[in-house]
Amino acid sequence: MIRRLVLPLVLFIIIVLEGVALELLPLQLLSGDYFIVPHWLFIFLVFVAVFFDHNDTYYSVLYALIFGLLFDIVYTGVLGVYMFSYALVIYIVHGIKKMLQGNFYVLLLLATFGIVLIEFTIYGIFSVVGMVDISIESFMLNRLAPTILLNLVFLIVIYPFSSKRLEKWKTEIPLGERMR
Amino acid sequence: MQFLRSKKLFIILIGVIVLVALIGYSLRDRENMGFVETIINDTVGWVQNTIHAPVSYVTGIISNIDDMKNTYEENQILREQIAQQDSLLYDVQKLEEENEELREIIGMTETVRDYEPIHASVISRSPEQWMDQVTINRGSDHGIETNMVVITADGMIGKVLQISNVTATVQLLTGFDEFNRISATITKEDDQDVFGMIEGFDKESNSLLFRIIEESEKNVEEGDIVYSSEKGGKFPAGLKIGEVKEIVSDQYGLTRIAMVEPAADLYDINNVVVVDRAIEQPQEMEENADEEDES
Repeated sequence: MIRRLVLPLVLFIIIVLEGVALELLPLQLLSGDYFIVPHWLFIFLVFVAVFFDHNDTYYSVLYALIFGLLFDIVYTGVLGVYMFSYALVIYIVHGIKKMLQGNFYVLLLLATFGIVLIEFTIYGIFSVVGMVDISIESFMLNRLAPTILLNLVFLIVIYPFSSKRLEKWKTEIPLGERMR
Repeated sequence: MQFLRSKKLFIILIGVIVLVALIGYSLRDRENMGFVETIINDTVGWVQNTIHAPVSYVTGIISNIDDMKNTYEENQILREQIAQQDSLLYDVQKLEEENEELREIIGMTETVRDYEPIHASVISRSPEQWMDQVTINRGSDHGIETNMVVITADGMIGKVLQISNVTATVQLLTGFDEFNRISATITKEDDQDVFGMIEGFDKESNSLLFRIIEESEKNVEEGDIVYSSEKGGKFPAGLKIGEVKEIVSDQYGLTRIAMVEPAADLYDINNVVVVDRAIEQPQEMEENADEEDES
């Protein structure tokens, strides 16, 4: 029972930490032309999809739905945007992962691909709604590139702590209780 | 297999519909958050409050080291300023006394400039940078309402967008647009005050867009100070917003826009004051009267 609560708890702590993430960055980065968006929650969900989920379990997608909605409520006030894009992209990542092995390089590739997809989905939705008015060139240059870079740094930092642990937890879920 | 494929498509389609419905719901002009949202915001706010203390302690140490490098120069400049301020203080005190006396004579006790401060700390900043929102650790329990103005010691930084019981979301000036705007004014001599709206932020030049609505003569100049105006409704007049950097025409050439450099640092915010206008609002009284009529 306790095992089941650990993963949601970790995700919850990550979502809270994202709020203070920008304070840890030097001010020059924030006040310049660049937008840096910490997608820590998403990175961790990619970890869950690659190391924790079996081919036929969809915990990562479920968590993406729940915590994406939580992110919307706490940080943007526009419900559904992160919920939808996180769940969709994690589902695609989960699908690609079935064809590949779960090692570090695959993880790096999937995370990069995922963040690009996430950013484009969110940019698309927000520009359709009219909350964002910025050309696609400056979006790619000022927001996408630095965001990918910084999130990959986060991925490399947490990789040693999480990959083995998640794989261990994966084997601890009894077959009968798996969610399909 | 055919069935499976259509099932996936079906789920994604439903997802899109839910997304559109949710966005539509949240983009409506909501004064208060829903019940569930309030609970979640309160819980997350409580955790953030506990986490924020050690984090700000560490970042505080780093910035302290930075500050120490130029303490000496700063000290000298400040000393000069203090010497100048002594005489200014004397003048201000005199004027204030006189003002109060005169006001008592005509029987006016509260003005649009008076306000009651509510002190708060910033506990988190929205990771979604397009939103330009920060969360503060005071909410409706402490008397905060939506649309109140938030200031720091340097000047205005934004206004309250949403409130829960113990936290509130503040829309920063950098995130202002046609839907989130505030009225502002530039004080000029001889009754030639300039009125307008702060209704946007230009990221490239790092300046606020102050659309000039009413100016008797084209007398806005570089270096003029923009203050909040009492015409905005919920907030007091006379709060500093920023300094005019440049004046341009808008895209149709009909109105003029002043580029205003914000007085407060919008990226390094720790302690803020939420401003509650002391004077009663006639607007609210009218609303109350309407309700009474209906009942």
